[in-house]
Amino acid sequence: MSTYGARPSPSAFSTPASTTLFRRLTWEGTVPLEIRVDPKELPANSDRGLECYYIQAPRVSYLPLLVPEIKKFLMDVVFDEAAARVVKEEEWWFESEEGNLLKWHWPLGLIYDSHTIAASIRPTTSSSSLQSVPLRLVLHLVSPPTEKLLLSPSAEACKQAFMGQMKEADFIRWGNTKRMTGLRKAEQDGLWEGIKEHNFDEYWRVASKVTPTTTPARSQSPPLPSSTSLHTRPPSADPQTGNGGPDRDGAYNVRNIPVRIYLPDGPVIQDVVPPLLDDGSPNSLHDFLSKNLSKLFPASPSEPPFHELAYPIIQGVEIPGDAEMAWLGACMAGADGWVNVCIGIIRDHGSRL
Amino acid sequence: MAGGPDTRALPTAWIAMDSGVNIQDALDALETYKKKDASKVVVRFKAVGNAPIMKQNLYKITASNRFQAVIQFLRKELGWKAGDPLFTYINLAFAPAPDDTVSNLYKSFATEGHLIVNYSTTAAWG
Repeated sequence: MSTYGARPSPSAFSTPASTTLFRRLTWEGTVPLEIRVDPKELPANSDRGLECYYIQAPRVSYLPLLVPEIKKFLMDVVFDEAAARVVKEEEWWFESEEGNLLKWHWPLGLIYDSHTIAASIRPTTSSSSLQSVPLRLVLHLVSPPTEKLLLSPSAEACKQAFMGQMKEADFIRWGNTKRMTGLRKAEQDGLWEGIKEHNFDEYWRVASKVTPTTTPARSQSPPLPSSTSLHTRPPSADPQTGNGGPDRDGAYNVRNIPVRIYLPDGPVIQDVVPPLLDDGSPNSLHDFLSKNLSKLFPASPSEPPFHELAYPIIQGVEIPGDAEMAWLGACMAGADGWVNVCIGIIRDHGSRL
Repeated sequence: MAGGPDTRALPTAWIAMDSGVNIQDALDALETYKKKDASKVVVRFKAVGNAPIMKQNLYKITASNRFQAVIQFLRKELGWKAGDPLFTYINLAFAPAPDDTVSNLYKSFATEGHLIVNYSTTAAWG
């Protein structure tokens, strides 16, 4: 966190202060987890009073990265020596309290938020109690349902999946993966090390080379830069990336923004999300949601259902509809480059999450 | 449900007066989004490196399938045994998450009406 200069070079340290702030806030976000070994699988002679492990885990981290410290806790405190000898962490897997399988390759923040929105449609939950309670996970020690988990539970498999997501995001933004493949091996590894060590600077030293910038000019003048050219340019057309202009890495010059919508209990929806609409105005979160989920987010109050039936959360935060998709992509994407929009259902006056 | 002339796009905290009806409407809407996309999209398989070439390489695959199902289909067509290495990519560029749906991938990455899936026996762009 050195300078907050307004130089155009794509560095985390030369982006506007507000961009760095939001990236920092996203990075530092944590979720409370309670991890309990399935009582049926607890080895004989375990200390049953202590089989719960509590952690405030980074949103940008992954379950396989938590396994070493959970294992250490269980070995040190819960299992006896005989049990500790036979425990195989390759067989571990996690479920939510409701019995939903938790995927190795989903960021923890996404696991948490998707649980929050799933709770928003359950008749029994009192929405006010959700916020203070940790997400309860059940740790199974044997018989992983490999087919459904899709990946092996190793940190290495998780890293490969993470790199795949980074490249897919790169392709969506720029139509190729040159920025990602242009990174040296040590730089690619640095991205993952940054997540593993939860080191903002280490991660952003590399991530700033692939993540779009927000141009300093925009923070002073909300209307877009060079509005003359915007009206003639279809949003899906190749933005002038080859012209070497100062803004060619800009958030509003990407082809599309890597976004996925998560609905309560599924499905996951992905669509092309250009930064600008056909008329050249910025594509807002409201525009995006009313295009993809018009039954929950009507485009205007004169169309059914006349008002919003749901609310969007990104990184655990309810986001106003006028937030611009390009800005969200540059400032509130997860470490894998994706903006995960989780949709919760409005239950009553203003009490959500 | 009031849709009167003075209904504006207020912040959501201000609306939802009749929450019981509201939730049912929302749940109904969610059900429609849950419906599986039964349409089919064309997937074109392309071998990379030493991977064997498929005689027939164009297939129609149900859009609601997960990419994992595409991988399994491909393994079967190639006669791959469990444990035989197979790496799959879209557009020679990236390996999608196995739980991504064919529909989502097609919408974002289709080229000339095809979703191009490259396969290799060694990691290529992993």
